[in-house]
Amino acid sequence: MTDIQYDLWQPVIGLEVHVQLNTKSKLFSCAPNRFGDEPNTNITDVCTGQPGTLPVLNKEAVRKAVQFGLAIKADVAHFSKFDRKSYFYPDSPRNFQITQFDQPIILGGMIVAEVGGQMKTFPVNRAHLEDDAGMLKHFSTFAGVDYNRAGVPLLEVVSEPCMHTPKEAVAYAMALKAIMEYLDASDCNMEEGSLRFDANISVRLKSEKTLRNKIEIKNMNSFSNMEMALESEIRRQIRLYTQNPHEDINNIIHKGTYRFDPEKKETVLMRQKEDAEDYRYFPEPDLVPIVLTSAYIEEIRKDLPELPHDRFKRYTEELSLPASAAATLINDRQMCLYFERALKTCSNAKNLCNWLVVEFTGRIKESGKTLDQVGIKAEHVGNLVNMIDQGTITGKIAKSVADDMVANPGKDCKDIVKENPDYQPLQDTSSIEALIDQVLSENAQSIADYKAGKTKAFAYLIGQVMKLCKGAASPAMVNEILTKKLQ
Amino acid sequence: MSHFDEKDLLKLMKLSKIECSQEEKDRFYTALSRVVTYIDQLTEVDTEGVAPCNHILETITNVMRDDEIGQTLSRDTFLSNAPSHVGGMVRVPPIIKTSNS
Amino acid sequence: MYKLSATELKELFSKGEISAKEIAQNTLKRIEKFDPEVGAFLHVHKDRMLQKAESLDKKKQSGEKLGSLAGVPIAIKDNIHINGTITTCGSKFLSNYKAVFDSTVCRLLEEEDALLIGKTNLDEFAMGSSTENSAYQKTRNPWDLACTPGGSSGGSSAAVAARFCPISFGSDTGGSIRQPASFTGIVGFKPTYGRVSRYGLVAFASSLDQIGPFSTTVTDTALVMQVISKGCDRDSTSIHAKTPDYLAALSPSLKDFTIGVPWHFLEQLNEDAKQNFLASVEVYKQLGAKIVDVDLDILSHSIAVYYVLATAEASTNLARFDGVRYGVRSPKATNLEELYDLSRQDGFGAEVKNRILLGTYVLSSGFKDAYYKKAQQVRALMIQKFKDAFLKCNLVMLPTAPFPAFKLGAIQDPLQMYLQDVYTIAANLVGAPAISIPSGFSSNNMPLGLQLIGPQMHDKEVLSAAYAYEQATGYGKKIPAHFDKEAL
Repeated sequence: MTDIQYDLWQPVIGLEVHVQLNTKSKLFSCAPNRFGDEPNTNITDVCTGQPGTLPVLNKEAVRKAVQFGLAIKADVAHFSKFDRKSYFYPDSPRNFQITQFDQPIILGGMIVAEVGGQMKTFPVNRAHLEDDAGMLKHFSTFAGVDYNRAGVPLLEVVSEPCMHTPKEAVAYAMALKAIMEYLDASDCNMEEGSLRFDANISVRLKSEKTLRNKIEIKNMNSFSNMEMALESEIRRQIRLYTQNPHEDINNIIHKGTYRFDPEKKETVLMRQKEDAEDYRYFPEPDLVPIVLTSAYIEEIRKDLPELPHDRFKRYTEELSLPASAAATLINDRQMCLYFERALKTCSNAKNLCNWLVVEFTGRIKESGKTLDQVGIKAEHVGNLVNMIDQGTITGKIAKSVADDMVANPGKDCKDIVKENPDYQPLQDTSSIEALIDQVLSENAQSIADYKAGKTKAFAYLIGQVMKLCKGAASPAMVNEILTKKLQ
Repeated sequence: MSHFDEKDLLKLMKLSKIECSQEEKDRFYTALSRVVTYIDQLTEVDTEGVAPCNHILETITNVMRDDEIGQTLSRDTFLSNAPSHVGGMVRVPPIIKTSNS
Repeated sequence: MYKLSATELKELFSKGEISAKEIAQNTLKRIEKFDPEVGAFLHVHKDRMLQKAESLDKKKQSGEKLGSLAGVPIAIKDNIHINGTITTCGSKFLSNYKAVFDSTVCRLLEEEDALLIGKTNLDEFAMGSSTENSAYQKTRNPWDLACTPGGSSGGSSAAVAARFCPISFGSDTGGSIRQPASFTGIVGFKPTYGRVSRYGLVAFASSLDQIGPFSTTVTDTALVMQVISKGCDRDSTSIHAKTPDYLAALSPSLKDFTIGVPWHFLEQLNEDAKQNFLASVEVYKQLGAKIVDVDLDILSHSIAVYYVLATAEASTNLARFDGVRYGVRSPKATNLEELYDLSRQDGFGAEVKNRILLGTYVLSSGFKDAYYKKAQQVRALMIQKFKDAFLKCNLVMLPTAPFPAFKLGAIQDPLQMYLQDVYTIAANLVGAPAISIPSGFSSNNMPLGLQLIGPQMHDKEVLSAAYAYEQATGYGKKIPAHFDKEAL
């Protein structure tokens, strides 16, 4: 068995992402764009391909496509058109898809994503509009076709083959999802299929400049599955190359379509591609071109919300949040919006972020709900952090308060603290003095150190006082009284 | 370019899902070869630098509709023309589960 | 009553001299008596028509305002939908297909109180020039029942020629209205591309198809064009410009009119047709028109361009006929591949299969540039040539067809059949309005037609020039002898 030297190889990954746009109606028909309804109840004559019907373009889909293009700093084409792509399949109402072949609406662009603490830029090749197919449900003696999904607008985003590790691919995918969420362009639900990822993947020796044969992995329906799928496929390809050193490299990996088996944790061949399918693209004669003026594009650019990458910069540069914390917030839009609300009451972004992302999230994780859903108000979290900062309560007590906030959703921490005497910091001067006196009597060396200029000694003494009272004393008062006593 | 042969015909039949008897195939082959030879005359036309006419109404662009739900087709009406349906879905013979583009 | 034009008929109805019910009954009786010989109709919607007639009479009695086509019986080519009724497209594939919506044209006609009679015969999916490709029946030319009425709208054309109704509708992709009109001695008009909505017309070639009327007079043509020349929100290629007043534009005289004739292109014309054409040129000269020569030699390539582009579009437009969602599914199919192959094998006739294969060929990888792209370029050149011609003239004039109606079964070779369209195809390729008007008779007493083509959106000028000719000659007035009698 040859020893496989994985690190001699460089994976090359490109992602094709199909995003269902959350318009009210479909791309070329006015049927409702909704998921989960009874089969064939969201249809019109157009999206079921009745003879004599014609497509009419949905202007909101165009707008969302342009928004996306601007968000990734791509070129928005002033002229784009639609084409017919022919293939026979029961989920296709006309046996041709209306897509954009050679003149798509969006060209180029880039997606910035955080990978292992570093920001990386991934170039995008293009993005275009096309209509989705219906759904097939497979049974043993027949298949059923539901056209509810047929005609739903898709934005297909194609990256350059620019990712070299599964983590990069996942980072790109998450960043793309975040952009779509921020633009409110899609439900981005991978389980429901409103966000679908296909990967094209090959490997090559690190020294090689050209690309080797690639395969396609379809329908990775979660980020963790994506990472595992890519990881296993990379290893599979490297193994095959390594085990067949004398074979022509073009004969080792054959074009094909794979899916990921989450149980076997490996990629499984679905079908081999013998010849490239001939889709016979030609311009769609039932539709006229899209001509976009600079004025129209500018109008949309003006209305763009703050995008994930810009928000990331604001969080790390202006609010000084650590990159990983910022990334966690950015990638979870609900959490991020919550954070923004809490920021209105509390300006200590770092602490706030920590309490949100670590402390509170940890406490409600099992419920599977968001903080909003549980009922804890953003301002209250802000209040909690403020109370710690002001010294009203200690960090330790704050944790108990947080537990209470979770148990009594909607209750303000200020009230919780007021009502619970245990949370009241010890503010009785004489008791604190007594504590301090005790500590001072036991730590003569520290006093000497402090007087000699070692400020650390002061902190140590504070710590000892707090330990003695089990954190109950008001830190502010301890500080004040100790300082006085040491003078 | 005018070499239209049997292999071409078979490929076309597969692509366009047109099946037929050998006799019909022969007739198609004869007819199509003649027509293809006829349309080959287009090579004589000088089209250097001419942009293809992709849209006959040159001045009409940006025809779009508002994003509103309009009149839908009732499932019953839709299925009334279906050769076979079950559970509200159009029924077709079982398919080996592969996903398509 | 059968001799009356639509204009005359609606006048009588509005005056109360005849009821809608009488009109409907008369029409149906005439069809019952004479159509077995002609075979114009595939379906006569007897009950529906009588019901509509009854409602119309009530409407009149109540004093409500009547539509501009009130009481006019109209036949519709069977590739245009009337909601809830069968649309076969002349094909076995759709023998059981019920339309699930009204075509815009039929809706507009009924909004103006027209009485739709039913559906007429056609070449299958409008592919043909003789109506012989219908999967159902042959239609015969009322002037000579051994001859074709032309195609693909042969049924609609024959229905008007035999005076079953004063107006019918067809579709024109390469001449399918104009050529039958010429063969049957009536007026056939193809509007500017986009002027009439295609919503509800089963598509053959999307960038070439247009719905248009047959009638016995240009006035009637103008009357219906007024109703159907409207923008449609369900057709992205529809023109939303204001509808001109076509009727007001009709005048027996021509002022400052120049007609372009592509003399060189017409050199091959046979003697009979040439004499007839020259006589028409004389008529226009007498009317005061100037005749100039225009260069349209490029039209010699129009058939080749057409058979690349139309079949390419058709091959995809007809892909939806797969036996899955509607249409006749082969009972022998045991798997999906067979479902497609067998349903399409059984459902489509030979000519349709021919064209689908050809269309697939010209789009297929390796050939697309040489055929499809090339044809689109030549098409662009044709558009330019016409633009150049229209700098010198108001309208271009050509014969409609190289010869009069031929005997059923006379042309077996598909290519030979295609070559007949040599004069009509160009108007579809450049999206221009074009009309065929009766221009007399051949040496064997069969009708001949004259064709006028205008620049895009100049439908009004085409109609008015046609009107002037009609008034000067009166050729359209003659009725085929065999049908020039009442149905008693």
